[in-house]
Amino acid sequence: MWRSARFPVLWVGAPLLLVTLFTVVPIGHTLWTSLHSAHFLFPDELSWSGLDNYRKVIAGPFFLTTLKNSLLFTAVTAPVVVGLGIATALLLQRRFTGRAVLRSVVLLPWVLPGAITAVLWIWVFNPSWGMLNTWLRDLGLITSSIPWLSDPSLAFASVAVAHIWSQVPFSVVLIMAALSTIDPALFEAARIDGANAWQRFRFVVWPAIKAMVVVLLVYNALTAFTTYDVVYAMTGGGPGTATSLLSFQIWRESFSMYDFGAGSAVAFLVVAMAGLMIVAITRALPSDLFAATEDEAP
Amino acid sequence: MTGRLADRLIVNLAALLVLAFAAGPILLAAFGSVVPDRILFDRDRSVLEGGMTLDNYRYIFTGRLPAAYMAEGANRAMISDAARQVPRSLWNSAQISTSVLALNLLLGAPAAFAFARFAFPRKKPAFLFLILSPLVPAVALVTPIYLLVDGLDLLGTKLAVVLVHTARSLPFTILILSVFFRKLPEELFEAAVIDGCSRLQSFLRVALPLALPAVCATGLFAFMLSYTEFLFSMVLSGDARSRPLSVVMAALARNTDVSWSLLNSAIFIAVLPTLLLVVLVWRYVVEGLLAGAVKG
Amino acid sequence: MLGMSRSMGMAGVAALSLLAAAAWPPAAVHAKDVTLEFVVWNYSLDTIQDNVRQFEAENPGIKVNVTDYTWPDYHDSVVLRFRGNTTTDVIYGGQDWLPAWAAAGYLYPLDEIAADAIESYKKDLAGFTINDMTYDGHLYGLPYYADTISFIYNQRILKDAAIEVPTSWEEVADAARKLKANGMERPIVYEFNQELPNFYDAFVAQAYGRGGDLFDEEGEAIFNRPDNAAFQQLSWLRDVIAEGLVAFENHESTIIPAMNSGKHAFTIVYNYVLAAMNNKADQPLAGEFALARMPGEAQSTLGFTKFYAITSSAAENRERREAAWKFVDFMAGPPYAVAKRWAIEKGLGFGQLPLLEDPEVIEAWSGWVDMPTLQAQIETARGGTWKEWTAVWAASFRPLMAQAMIGEATVEEVMSQGAERWDALRAQMAR
Repeated sequence: MWRSARFPVLWVGAPLLLVTLFTVVPIGHTLWTSLHSAHFLFPDELSWSGLDNYRKVIAGPFFLTTLKNSLLFTAVTAPVVVGLGIATALLLQRRFTGRAVLRSVVLLPWVLPGAITAVLWIWVFNPSWGMLNTWLRDLGLITSSIPWLSDPSLAFASVAVAHIWSQVPFSVVLIMAALSTIDPALFEAARIDGANAWQRFRFVVWPAIKAMVVVLLVYNALTAFTTYDVVYAMTGGGPGTATSLLSFQIWRESFSMYDFGAGSAVAFLVVAMAGLMIVAITRALPSDLFAATEDEAP
Repeated sequence: MTGRLADRLIVNLAALLVLAFAAGPILLAAFGSVVPDRILFDRDRSVLEGGMTLDNYRYIFTGRLPAAYMAEGANRAMISDAARQVPRSLWNSAQISTSVLALNLLLGAPAAFAFARFAFPRKKPAFLFLILSPLVPAVALVTPIYLLVDGLDLLGTKLAVVLVHTARSLPFTILILSVFFRKLPEELFEAAVIDGCSRLQSFLRVALPLALPAVCATGLFAFMLSYTEFLFSMVLSGDARSRPLSVVMAALARNTDVSWSLLNSAIFIAVLPTLLLVVLVWRYVVEGLLAGAVKG
Repeated sequence: MLGMSRSMGMAGVAALSLLAAAAWPPAAVHAKDVTLEFVVWNYSLDTIQDNVRQFEAENPGIKVNVTDYTWPDYHDSVVLRFRGNTTTDVIYGGQDWLPAWAAAGYLYPLDEIAADAIESYKKDLAGFTINDMTYDGHLYGLPYYADTISFIYNQRILKDAAIEVPTSWEEVADAARKLKANGMERPIVYEFNQELPNFYDAFVAQAYGRGGDLFDEEGEAIFNRPDNAAFQQLSWLRDVIAEGLVAFENHESTIIPAMNSGKHAFTIVYNYVLAAMNNKADQPLAGEFALARMPGEAQSTLGFTKFYAITSSAAENRERREAAWKFVDFMAGPPYAVAKRWAIEKGLGFGQLPLLEDPEVIEAWSGWVDMPTLQAQIETARGGTWKEWTAVWAASFRPLMAQAMIGEATVEEVMSQGAERWDALRAQMAR
C-alpha cells in the first residue's frame, strides 16, 4: 500500500472527468428538469414546480404497475443469470467431449445487440409461426398453439428468458476468471479429505468467487432494473401492461406524453430505487469488496 | 464405477442443454438466412424440395436482387437497401468498440490500481462516485447527453459515441480490475519497492502482467458493452456513414420492407466476424493467460 | 466556451469554402450551396436516397443530407431534435403529430412559403389529405403518401369453408367461430402494440366502419357512452379475444409471415401491407389475400396522410426556405413522379388524385388489390380528429385500450378514464 497525501490525479483523474461529464452533468440536468414544468408543447414556459412532477407520476396510472413489473423482472432474472453463470462456468471446468466448442458457443448471445436478440426470440416464441410451438407440436407434446407472447404471464416469462439468455455469457466469463485463481492443489486436498461436491463448492469454490458473485448480482440487478430494449422490441410492453417496465416509463413520459419534467422525475425515482437495491444486495451478501475500501481510507 | 459413468452422463447432458440454449436461436437465424420466406412459412413445402439459396447474402454484398424478385408479378416491397448497410456498420462498430476497449484499459487499469493499492485522501468518495454512476439508467441520460453532445458540436460523430460508451463502461472496468489488483499478494509489491520500483513501475512490471487475464476480460467486456449498446448509438451517431451495427440491426428488425430471410442473413453476417473475434481472443488470449496465471 | 468553439468551427468552414471557391472557376460556383437536413423514417431508404439524388441532379447548389430513424423511434427522435435545436429542415410529418408540432412552433406553413403553388396543388389533393395536413387554417405539408386502414382476409380459406366475406363485426366473429370449429386456432390476427400509433389508428378505423366516431363535432369525447361505436368495438374486441379467436402480432412486419402461415383468415392493417402479403417474390400464399371494406354499417375507414413538412428553423433563412420548398415541391408536387414511384414500387397510397387514373399505377396495383373495392373504400374513408393534444392523449389511451382488450380492466373503466384524460388535456391546452 502506497500512502500519499495528495489525490493521484494522473491515475484516476481522466475516468472521474469522463464520468462527471457524461453522468453527473446530465443527471444534474435531469434533476433540474424534474423540478420544473417542462412541456414539449410549451417550449417557452419553463417554471419552477417543486415536487409536482413527482406527485403527478406516482399518482399516475402506470407508475405502480411498471414498478411492480420491474421489481419482479429484476428479482427473477438477476439471480437466475448469476446462477446459470456459475453452473455453466463450473460445467466448463469439467472435462467432456466438445468442451472447447462449447466454451466458444456460450459466448454467442453476448455478441448480439438487443434488436437481434429480440428478433431471434420472437421467432422462437411467436404463436403462429414460432419454432417452439412447431417443435412442441411435432413432438406431439401439444395439440394447440401456446400463446407465448399473447398471454400476460407467458409473455412476461418469455421476455425474461430472452433477457437471461443475453446476459448469461458475461457472468460465465467473469466466474471463470474468478475460478482460475483457485489453486488446483486445494481441490486435490479437498478430494483426499473426502469432501463431497457440495463441500468442495462451499469451502473451495465459493470463497474464490464470492466477491465476483456480488459484483455480478449488483450488475445484473442494475441491468434488469434499467433495461427495456429487448422487452420493448418483443412485446411493446404488452399485452396490456404485462411487460411494461419502469425504465420505459421514463421514455414514455418524456416523449410520448411530451412531459420532460415528469419523465425526469421518473428517471430520478429509478436512480433512487436502484441505489437502494444495490445497498440491499451488498448488505445481504457481505463481501470484502466495499469493506476493503473503507479500511484503506486514511 | 457406475457413479463415474452417471457423473459423465450428467455432465454431457448438461453440456448439450447449454449448447442448445446458447446456440439454438442463432442456428435458427443461420437456417432462416438461406431459406426464402415463401418456403420458410409454407407448411406444405419442405426445405429440401424448395432448395436453399445464398441470394440474400449476395444482395447484401453486391446489391444484386434475389432471383425471385425478377419473377412476374413480384414487387420490391420486401427488400430494402437498409440491409446493405450491414457491412459498413460492422466496420463502424469495430472502430467504435475498439476505441472504447482501448480507452477503458488505458484509463481504467491505472485507476483501478490506484484504488486497489494506494491510500490517499478522498479515496472512498471518489471510488463510490465512480462505481455508483452506472446506477443512473441510460434512458434517464439520453436527453441531457444529446443536448450536451449537440452543444459540443459532436452530434453525428463516432467520437461522441466512443466518449459516452467509455464513460458508461469505465466504472465496471475499474470495479472489476480493482478486485483483481487487490487480490495480488502484498509481498510482491513490498519486494518491488525494496528493488527500488516506483508506483508506476510496480504497476507496469508487477501488477499488470499478473492481472493480464482480468485486464483482457474486462477489455472484452467494454468492447461488447459498446458493441451491443443501442440507445446512445441511435441518438448520437447520425447517418449511415457513422452508424454502428446495433442501430442498423434495429432498423432492419423493425421495418416492414425487410423479408424475414433477408433479416436473418443480416443477423448472421453481423454475428460471424464478432463471434470469430471473441472466440479468438477468449481461446488464445484469455484462456492461455488463465492457464499460466499465478495462483494467489 | 461552447459558443467559442462553434464560432471557431464556423470560421474554419468559412475558410474552407473560400479555399474551395478559389480552387474552382467562378462559373461553377453557385450563389451559395445549401445543404438541407432531411429527416425520415427508414421505410425503403434506398428509394428515398435515389429520389434525393435525382433532386440534387436537377438542382445544382442544393445538397440533401438524409438522416433516418426506424418508425418506432422516429417520433421521439424528431422531438429530441426539436428540443436540441439540431439543424433540421425538411421532415416526414404525420396527421396525428401536426397540431402539436405546429402549435409549439416547430413547423412552418407551406402556404406562407409558396402561396400560389399551394393553392393550385390543392385541387389535386384528396379531401381528408388536405384536412390531415392543415392546422389552424394553414397547410403545413404535401403528401409523402396517404393510405387507408384495411380489413384483409384470406380468399381461399373463406372459400374452402364456404364463408361469405363479412360485412359486419358480428359476421366477422361468426366466421371466426366457424373457422375455429373447423380447426383453425386463431382466425384473426391483430396488431397489438400499445406503443405504436398504429394501434390507435386501427381502432379508430374499426369504429368508423361501424359508422360512429370517438368525438362529436365540437371535439368532445363521446366514446365513453355505451351506445358509441368505439365503445361497442372495444367490447367486441374484448369478447373475441376472450373467446380465443385472436392472435397478437407485435408489428405489421410480423403480420405478413403470420398471415402467410395460413393459420389465420382476417387482419386489420395499413393497406400497403397487403401489397407485401401478396408479393409473389417472397410470400408462400401470395395472391390469396384480398381487401374487403371495413365491416360495420358504414363500411368506412380511417384515411391518413404522411407528408413532407418544413421546419420553422429552416424557414427563418430565405435561402434555406427556398431550397426546402424546391425539395418538397420535387418530392410531392406535380407531376407527382415521386408519389407515383412509391405507389408502383411499394404499394403506398397517395393523396394526389390524378394518380388514381394513371394506367401504370392501376396496372401495378391490380396485381395485389381489387381496385374497385379499394376505390370504394377510399371514397368512404374519413380523416381523424387531430387536436394539439391528440398524440399525447392517444399515447395514454393506447395502454388503457390494451388493458380492456385482454380483460385487465373493464371497457367502462378505460373509456371513462380515457374521456377524463381527454377533457383534462383539452382544458390544459385551452389555458
